[in-house]
Amino acid sequence: MSTRRPRETEQPGDRTLEVGEATALLPALRMPEERATVLRVDSVTCWFGDHCVLDRVSLEVREGEVVGIIGPGGVGKTVLVKLCTGLLEPDSGRIDVLGNELGRTGQKDRQRLRERIGLVFQNYALFDFMTVGQNVAFPMLQRGGYTAEDVATRVQERLTEVGLPKVQHLMPNELSGGMKKRVGLARANINDPELIFFDDPTAGLDPVTSSKIFNLIRLTQSHRNSTCVVISHDIDRMRPACDRYVLLYKSRVYFEGTEADAMASEDAVVHEFFRKNEGIGA
Amino acid sequence: MSGLALPLRALGGSLIEFAHTLGGLALVLGRILRALVPPRFDRDQTWLNFFKVGVKSYPIVVMTALFTGAIMVIQSGQYVKQTGATGLLGWGAGYAVLAEIGPVLIGLMFSGRVGANNTAELGTMKVTEQIDALRALAIEPINYLVVPRFLAMVVMLVLLTALGDLFALIGGALTSELILDVDWRVFFAGVIDGHLLDEFFIGLAKAAGFGASISVVSCHYGLTVSGGATGVGRAVNAAVVTSAIGIFVFDYVITYVANRFL
Ligand SMILES: Nc1ncnc2c1ncn2[C@@H]1O[C@H](COP(=O)(O)OP(=O)(O)O)[C@@H](O)[C@H]1O
Ligand SMILES: [Mg+2]
Repeated sequence: MSTRRPRETEQPGDRTLEVGEATALLPALRMPEERATVLRVDSVTCWFGDHCVLDRVSLEVREGEVVGIIGPGGVGKTVLVKLCTGLLEPDSGRIDVLGNELGRTGQKDRQRLRERIGLVFQNYALFDFMTVGQNVAFPMLQRGGYTAEDVATRVQERLTEVGLPKVQHLMPNELSGGMKKRVGLARANINDPELIFFDDPTAGLDPVTSSKIFNLIRLTQSHRNSTCVVISHDIDRMRPACDRYVLLYKSRVYFEGTEADAMASEDAVVHEFFRKNEGIGA
Repeated sequence: MSGLALPLRALGGSLIEFAHTLGGLALVLGRILRALVPPRFDRDQTWLNFFKVGVKSYPIVVMTALFTGAIMVIQSGQYVKQTGATGLLGWGAGYAVLAEIGPVLIGLMFSGRVGANNTAELGTMKVTEQIDALRALAIEPINYLVVPRFLAMVVMLVLLTALGDLFALIGGALTSELILDVDWRVFFAGVIDGHLLDEFFIGLAKAAGFGASISVVSCHYGLTVSGGATGVGRAVNAAVVTSAIGIFVFDYVITYVANRFL
């Protein structure tokens, strides 16, 4: 099959790419099965006291995917994200992130690994002793190797991206919840991580801003080719952003697949979660 | 039998809690020392904390010291008036203030001001997930938050104690002059004739020990807060009490060692 269409005004360097060439450049265009696994959670169990929060949970996320994790409030979505970023340790099971087995990485390696991962916290977790600008610049300054000008430019660029071009000099406690969330997004994004976790990025946001945030997540994925794991209960607005969903229910992975798979499913619980117009849980 | 079981269980519980706290403190201290050699802590944060700790606490240190010196002089005033041994006034007040009362009172005030503030700050960062956010951004909280505070508290408490010593003597001299009608020059001559340099340095050694224990205790309680705002309040309370105990234990040990070997 020839993909080379003759064009009237073909410029040098403007030729259409062969299919093989294009897919080599853009992993997102490859079939999902060919892409590298970025995150693998294998039979992970996590207890808090005598309450089993996650029971043998397994899932896999491939390079360039946007995967939505949904489920009722308190099911353990946040715990799962904290396990994947090494902020909590599982009681059993194995987690591989970007080719590193978390349980076996030393402090140095784990630190290096974390520089490649972004995390947006459900409760913002902005540093309240810094201005908004300093918060967003912080990961970049800590990594080092940038001039003050580079940092200032990129901070301004990322804050503008999330629709907050004028809050640099405010303190976090001067912002509304939704603004804090977006600042958290800019901070997690600043070093262009390969894998980003968004823990309920739109909780408490108005519908318009929520849609914007999900668009932004999708854009981040396509521009920077980051892999994204998005937790939300706002299934309607996350639809355009997500490729695939994982439904956590009663401590287990209850369903995994695309929206079409969910619609084709006969299961009442799955239907409940994917029903249009209303989301469940928090 | 059953009458004895309840108090015994309570005793066992407190012993376990005590061991738990002690273990936690040792762990924090160990991690601080490991971050010091080779140095892996954040320089900017260290300077910032030196500044913050100093500015925050020098007014209360000066106040505490002025009154301490004054009170020591008033206490010995009756005796000095009766005997006319005015030369002893400076020596007596100087000895007590430099070696014992100065460092302990300043340490307790410092713990209430800087230590409590530190526990509240770290505890709030813990419950609002800022500590997790640091870790997620590949920053080790010990290097970024704890070691700078440890260094600032140890160094600043030593410097503040030296400053406090000076103000305590000034307070003593003023009180002699104004209340006891003893010339301030006589008071200072008594201090100088007393050869109190040893006491001065023992006092500074105590201050260093107090600074270390206050910082380790306040950081430990701050970093292990759980249970939201109430948890922060509880942790601050526990930190202040434990710091005070730490101050008395260190005071005892250093006094004992100094008397034994100097
Ligand atoms: N630090 C903790 N200590 C005890 N229980 C916890 C802790 N963190 C989470 N849990 C429990 O784990 C469960 C899952 O919490 P979480 O992951 O926050 O739920 P969600 O799916 O809403 O994000 C909850 O039942 C919560 O009570
Ligand atoms: Mg959650």
